[in-house]
Amino acid sequence: MTVTELHSVRAGTPRRSAAAWLHQILSMPAGAILLVFLVVQLACIIAGLAFPDDFRYLSPQNMGILMRSVPVLGCLALGAGILMIAGEFDLSIGSVYTLTAVIMAMLVGNGIDAFIAAPIGLMVGAVIGLGNGFLTLRFNLPSFIVTLGGLLFWRGAVLLINGAVQVRFDPNPVFNAMFGGTVLGINAAFIWFILLCLAFWALLHRHKLGNHIFATGGNRAAATAIGVNTSRIKMIAFAIAGFMAAFAGILATTRVGSVQPGQGAGLELQAIAACVIGGLSLRGGRGSILGVFLGVMLIFTITDVLLLMRAPGFYLDMFIATLIVVASIFNHGLDRRGGAL
Amino acid sequence: MSLLALHNVNKHFGPLKALSDLSFEINENEVVGLLGDNGAGKSTTVNMISGIHQPTSGHISVDGKKQVFTCRRDSAEAGVETIYQNTALVDSLSISRNIFLGRELTNRFGFMDLKRMREISMQVLESAVHISGIDSPDKLVGDLSGGQKQAVAIARAVFFKRRVLLLDEPTSALSVRETEALLNQVLKLKAEGVSSVLVTHNLYHAYQVCDRFVIMSHGTKVLDVDKANTTIEELTQHVVLT
Repeated sequence: MTVTELHSVRAGTPRRSAAAWLHQILSMPAGAILLVFLVVQLACIIAGLAFPDDFRYLSPQNMGILMRSVPVLGCLALGAGILMIAGEFDLSIGSVYTLTAVIMAMLVGNGIDAFIAAPIGLMVGAVIGLGNGFLTLRFNLPSFIVTLGGLLFWRGAVLLINGAVQVRFDPNPVFNAMFGGTVLGINAAFIWFILLCLAFWALLHRHKLGNHIFATGGNRAAATAIGVNTSRIKMIAFAIAGFMAAFAGILATTRVGSVQPGQGAGLELQAIAACVIGGLSLRGGRGSILGVFLGVMLIFTITDVLLLMRAPGFYLDMFIATLIVVASIFNHGLDRRGGAL
Repeated sequence: MSLLALHNVNKHFGPLKALSDLSFEINENEVVGLLGDNGAGKSTTVNMISGIHQPTSGHISVDGKKQVFTCRRDSAEAGVETIYQNTALVDSLSISRNIFLGRELTNRFGFMDLKRMREISMQVLESAVHISGIDSPDKLVGDLSGGQKQAVAIARAVFFKRRVLLLDEPTSALSVRETEALLNQVLKLKAEGVSSVLVTHNLYHAYQVCDRFVIMSHGTKVLDVDKANTTIEELTQHVVLT
């Protein structure tokens, strides 16, 4: 068939080409979630335009709240997502997030510059991640168990080193502007999140390390046989998960100006939920950064909508729960899809 | 001079003696059938040549030089590629990413040249491997048939200029047509200077393409014979009765 013929066929059957287009979107990694996200956004925008007084979705305040709330969970989910693709879990990221934030805030409280304290927090996060990786790989344990231990251990450690009181975080103004300010009306934390998404996309989908991460999670035996050092790859992924938990801690602490010892509880599950909604396989080897991004955005859009509609909080949990299960059913059906093209 | 040779190799797994005093060689432009019943030590031999196991005593040589393979990368560098029963491919990665897995074409920062990887993959699949039906290097390997997967594994070996292919039970998961195509592929590679070791217990497939047969039983060699000097009946007898 020539090109002109093809064009005429396409022009003649618009319905089929729309179906083909839909099929193409759905067969993309994260295509389904992208479609859901766009539909939800469209509905929200239409509703926001139609009822500007009752449904303030498009108001600058609401947009500001969205942009401020997304990055913390977003950064946690990026780290958790990379690790999930490598075939492991980290349930301790919520506790690590709190612990590193407490350490950073205490250091700053003792007169250490925030630009020194923050990297120390990041290092602690990465080292704890490496520790999880070491225990998992050295003793051949499920990472679920190791990091469940981590969750409880580091949660307790926060209370040990700090007690159950909140810690004030008062960094220098430059640090505050970099992580808590706004640039051209856009929240700095949100910009960090977008930059990190781009960096992670490049790492996972364009760098050879990403290829090895997919291979390690997808078929560890095959990856090992071909000469990929899968233990090293998993260690790197664990370190990234811990590092990103600490980074999320920096963003949250700068935004609020203090750390609550209980603030990280449940965040690890939300991060994993975002990844599952975004199409990452619980068995590893499948997923995309776009999926993680959209999973996080969808959770917050739905949260936001329910808040704007003044729905009681329990609806939120029920809604997200439904979303996770539906997403898993869908991903299971498309289990062949969503790998790295 | 032999391309690859095992010299008096022994392998113990604790008290279990898997291989005892095994010696054989693979020459250039040769297809060797490594035959034997289950438990004869074929898989141990393959794992040893590909660097997964190390001999307890004895050694392996390539081009007459003694080699120590401590991992698969060592054997790959020496020019040996192993293609396993359930081929070592990652289902959730595309064909081109599988072909270049662990040997990605990158710039100096480690970012992959996906365009070139795609082009080369397609080229290799079209020119070197004739198990067709693969129309795009972006297809996920999980969506391919057993024969197509083996084709991808062979394409990988061909592109990286391996000199010896170790095919471990390559036909066990293949359809009749795919089996024919694979065996033809082995002959075609021989014509291009790539030797193969066909590890199988299907004597008919082996007899079709091999130049020489090495039969193993209880971890040692019981027969090493050229095709011209044997018959399929004799081979069967050795496999079954020893």
